[in-house]
Amino acid sequence: MDAIYQLIHDYCPTMPDWLALALAILLPIAIVMGVFLTVFALLTWVERKALGRIQNRRGPNRVGPVGLFQPIADGLKLLTKEDIVPNAADKVVHFLAPVLVVVPAFMVLAVVPVAKGFIAVDLNIGVLFALAVSTASVLALFMAGWASHNKFSLLGAMRGVAQVVSYEVPMVLAAVVVLMASGSLSSVSIVEAQRGLTGWFVCKPWGLVGFVIFQLCAMAEVARTPFDLPEAESEIVAGYHTEYSGFKFALFQMGEYVAAITMGGITVTMFLGGYLGPGCDLPKFGWLISACWFFAKLGIIVVINIWARGTWPRVRVDQLLGFAWKLLLPLSLVNIVAMAVWHFAPNKLVGWVESAVLLAVAIVALVKINAGQTFEKRSYRFTS
Amino acid sequence: MNIVFLTLSAIMVLGAVLAVTLRNLVHCLLALVVFFLGIAGHFFLLKADFLGAAQILIYIGAVAVLILFAIMLTRNISGTEGGRSSLGGAWWLGVGLASSLAGMMCVFVRRSELVTKLPYGATEEGVVKEIGKLLVTDWVVPLEIMAVLLTAALIGAVVIALEEEKKR
Repeated sequence: MDAIYQLIHDYCPTMPDWLALALAILLPIAIVMGVFLTVFALLTWVERKALGRIQNRRGPNRVGPVGLFQPIADGLKLLTKEDIVPNAADKVVHFLAPVLVVVPAFMVLAVVPVAKGFIAVDLNIGVLFALAVSTASVLALFMAGWASHNKFSLLGAMRGVAQVVSYEVPMVLAAVVVLMASGSLSSVSIVEAQRGLTGWFVCKPWGLVGFVIFQLCAMAEVARTPFDLPEAESEIVAGYHTEYSGFKFALFQMGEYVAAITMGGITVTMFLGGYLGPGCDLPKFGWLISACWFFAKLGIIVVINIWARGTWPRVRVDQLLGFAWKLLLPLSLVNIVAMAVWHFAPNKLVGWVESAVLLAVAIVALVKINAGQTFEKRSYRFTS
Repeated sequence: MNIVFLTLSAIMVLGAVLAVTLRNLVHCLLALVVFFLGIAGHFFLLKADFLGAAQILIYIGAVAVLILFAIMLTRNISGTEGGRSSLGGAWWLGVGLASSLAGMMCVFVRRSELVTKLPYGATEEGVVKEIGKLLVTDWVVPLEIMAVLLTAALIGAVVIALEEEKKR
């Protein structure tokens, strides 16, 4: 923001100060919104195509070349659809919920460094801000479920709240190792700390484990398919957004997809070296190359998400919560210890071996302990 | 800055008033969340980014959700049952207590050294590091006590849930 303000000041010194300031504030917001809304529109198309491929069908192929204009058609359809509000619904809260779903998803984008030197706001607590704001979506989710006055909506919302609260814990703990390694909360310094051939945090034993935990928790946090219990169609219609139609429904979809993209962006920033890659430091086109690297990595994460969605069945509620509390949470705690062992090791090789052995033992032990409990037959409380 | 401060404060006061006057408990909670957000905004305005983010993480991400669960366990959420409680002498007592507390806060905050000693422009990289260092050196005992307390609460919750399981 300050850099843009300086630029405007240098090129047109006659511009009034308030206008320059307003431009400096609005320009990064406009760029970020524009880029990521385009990515969102493309992502819906990519997802439907990829899922079609996995399920041995063609996916959208009617609108435009290879169905590329499908997102536009969807948007127009949802915009012109009648907006139905249930009679018993709490009108104000019902209206506010879809708006509030989108806000945190976009706010997190402010601290994602998209390219070298391009970040909307370089907060020195960037990662903490991202983690804090992304959990605020839980309230919007609950508002939607509660205001609809529908048992399925409320069930979905309760599931969603339980899920997000549970997965938040291992997610934050998995992020801790990155903060320990980089010694900073700022997203730009975290990226800069990953320079070098094997500098990416994912190339280290604790980084790999942290990456896997963080990625799983991110998928659960935005309720992507193996973890999409809050909107499980086979059980509770559409969960918390059962009573939404038209553009409000579109906003829920947008919130979910944008949150998936932003969580992917945070994952890339923290574990995959962000915008780093060969050529990202070139004086002239470095920003373009680094942006390409960032979006390529983001694309890989997004495709992993779609792939998981197409190949895994939805888990059960008890499996979902047990997985978070009994496996991911202890593992992320061990991971922090492994990071400390790495840090205090006399040389790199010793640190590598020690932390890898520690983590391997922990994973084997945790899987063994949980093996009997994870897949036992569920006894239902209120039947028989 | 002054306009931002006044707008934020007006929103906060509105949220606080609504939180205690609305009839529906969930609406009260949402008004309270507006108030919490206002506090976070004030922290950001004072360049205390860390406190602002912590405020969002703890008060909106955790405390509000906790209150939410508590509300879902109560009856009469909509506040339609029962009459409005009489606002007699208790109301004046509350006003008196609140205003005397506010007055005391004003006096002590003005007298405190913190107002003059606060490092202004606290966005420097060092502040978070400084907080971290203080937490594991000077304030390590309170931190550990808190950690033990929270762990005990967690284990206690599990024990209570387990007992219920056995009874069935």
